[in-house]
Amino acid sequence: MISYELSEEQKIVRSTMSEFANTVLRPETRRLDDNSKIDDGVLSALWATEIIQSQADADGEGRSPVTNAIILEELAAADASLALAVASSMGFVQAIADQGSAKQRELLKAFAGPKFQAAAIAMMEPSFSFDVSKISAKASKAGDEYVLSGKKAYVPLASSCSHFLVIAESDGAADAFIVPRDAAGVKVEAPKGTLGLRALELAEVSFDGVKVPASMRLGEGNGADIQKIVDSARVGLASIMAGLSRGVLEYVVPYTKERIVHGTPLAQKQKVAFDIADMKIDIDAMRWMNWKAAWELESKLPATRTAQLAYTYASQQTMQIADNGLQAFGGHGFVKAHPIEMWYRNARSLSVLEGVAGV
Amino acid sequence: MVDFSLTEGDQRFLDLIQEEYELGRKFAREVDREAEHKPPVVKTLHPALEGKPDPYELLHESDEGTSGHIMVDALMHMVSAKDLDMRPEGLGFGSMVLEDFGTDEQKAKFGHLRLAIGLTEPGAGSDPGNMASTWRYDAATDEYVLNGEKVFISAINKLDGAVTLLRGVPDEQGRRVFSSFIITKDMKGFHEMQQFQKLGMHQFDIAGFTMDDIRVPAINRLEADFGRTMSRFNHNRPLVAAGALGLCRSMLDFTKAKLAEGGIEVDYARGVKARSAAEDKIIRMEALWEAAWGTVMEVKWKQTQLGTTSLGYRTEASMAKAIGGKAARQITQGCLELLGPEGLSEDYLAEKWFRDARIADIYEGAGEIQRILVARDVLGYKKGELN
Repeated sequence: MISYELSEEQKIVRSTMSEFANTVLRPETRRLDDNSKIDDGVLSALWATEIIQSQADADGEGRSPVTNAIILEELAAADASLALAVASSMGFVQAIADQGSAKQRELLKAFAGPKFQAAAIAMMEPSFSFDVSKISAKASKAGDEYVLSGKKAYVPLASSCSHFLVIAESDGAADAFIVPRDAAGVKVEAPKGTLGLRALELAEVSFDGVKVPASMRLGEGNGADIQKIVDSARVGLASIMAGLSRGVLEYVVPYTKERIVHGTPLAQKQKVAFDIADMKIDIDAMRWMNWKAAWELESKLPATRTAQLAYTYASQQTMQIADNGLQAFGGHGFVKAHPIEMWYRNARSLSVLEGVAGV
Repeated sequence: MVDFSLTEGDQRFLDLIQEEYELGRKFAREVDREAEHKPPVVKTLHPALEGKPDPYELLHESDEGTSGHIMVDALMHMVSAKDLDMRPEGLGFGSMVLEDFGTDEQKAKFGHLRLAIGLTEPGAGSDPGNMASTWRYDAATDEYVLNGEKVFISAINKLDGAVTLLRGVPDEQGRRVFSSFIITKDMKGFHEMQQFQKLGMHQFDIAGFTMDDIRVPAINRLEADFGRTMSRFNHNRPLVAAGALGLCRSMLDFTKAKLAEGGIEVDYARGVKARSAAEDKIIRMEALWEAAWGTVMEVKWKQTQLGTTSLGYRTEASMAKAIGGKAARQITQGCLELLGPEGLSEDYLAEKWFRDARIADIYEGAGEIQRILVARDVLGYKKGELN
């Protein structure tokens, strides 16, 4: 029965997250971007929300992709980098909770500690022709282990990650391997300077003949459903993009009402007012698409199509919203005194990432 | 709980209406070619539907086991293209206004009439303030005297009359007060005009009428001012969007099927660099379709919560109409582009859907009007501050 009604718990989570994001995260956002680093205090505050820890539950009872989509939107309305920091570790934990063997799920106990525990899905590769359907990293079976080789890129907080879930081609299909950061042959490169999401310290990680025990192949004997990881990541990224877009809209409204041009506020000019109306329409539409895809994931229904559509729409419209938002600010949109230029960079960055989040 | 599942009851209604639309599709081309020259003053059931229950009537009787009649109504509109009206014209928009705002006495007297809504004029479409038609009170006979011209009136040639919104002749303060009146075709001074010849929607009767000193008693005057008459739009606008999405569903399904025959299948799993331009375009159009679907269903859910006459969902209604209108234009244009020259052929309905869809971003409030309403709400502006 079709319903858009949030549960009481979801309503509380949404307002709590919104307040947390506005009061704790928002004031930090420019500083973190400037420093290209998320400092420990902010990471601790994120960890204290227990969003990541709560994903570890293997039967999935305590986990709701719909709730997670709501949380990521709220966090990203304040700061997309921080939302993705959460979504990245969350994606790792979920993939293992969802598809891992009992032994693999043991690893998640490490996520019960008091400190932010970074871990990431290593999906993307440093190639202009990269596509999630064409993974170059290889894992070949040799006896009781796999030998993993390849290069991964744009891994969030890579140098702090305890583990990577490395997506590699094995026997003609994509597979996932749990690899500790300190395993022999793993090398985390210095963070790349990137256009956007700078605080995430996106970095390349190379795997050079890394020996992975067969017991660390996600799902062990049966392997894992990599498409499920991609679907969940797409919904996660789309939720973050909806949040970023909302941040833009909320920032554009007061400015365009105050700024007088040729005698009237900018917001009273139809071009600007129509852009603002379209922002509102598209942000809401993104949210409903995200909820629908998340609901399919939650209901264990095939979600590949709706996840793709939600991700595609969010990618396209978020870029447009950030673009029109910047334009509304004119020269002020181009300078760092306002966050719009940062959101513009983040919008383009988010909408080209794949496999790096989870709901 | 957030839920997007269809109940068995929902599915039953969707199957029923799909079957009816498929039947209608067989006659779609013929009606498209001929309807405007031979207006089908259809007041009877199309023979193809003989013995088949009206799904909307069934829904009206009982929505038990469904997501609710307001939601199912919208879902039914989105199932596929409605190419043909095959049932006797139901109550018009004007009848709904009477139902919502008429007195008991008025409902008893006029309730049996099927009434269109007469708002638009040749010089006043999106801007009703420009209305030139007038009403004036004649104290000598205790009657109202109505004059003017109304155009783009849906189904006026099939219905019994209209609820028409007029402006008064200037009062002492120079104000021209809006008021609604019930008029019927048999009144002296009522003249029906010929059907419009139009780009598409040939199956859809649209004509106009003139009022030449029509005299009506006070009981014909509805206590529905401009705002109240327009409030029905909140219910209708998302449905207009939904109907356009139904058409787009047929267009997308047809395009995907034809591309698949040529070996182009849409793969939703792969990323943007592993798909063809055609696949990418389909995915982007389907994404827009889903975006509009979610928006329509959300406003219908809100309408269910608040009640149809509430003004609490009017911004959402405008949002649904705006995104539905945009989807109608982009999806039909994009599909014809993908179908190439073969899509132009009258052997298929694609070219008809392309023509039919274009009105979706105009009638029931053009996209620009919807954006003004949405922007006013987001920016906290009143009428006059943003026009």
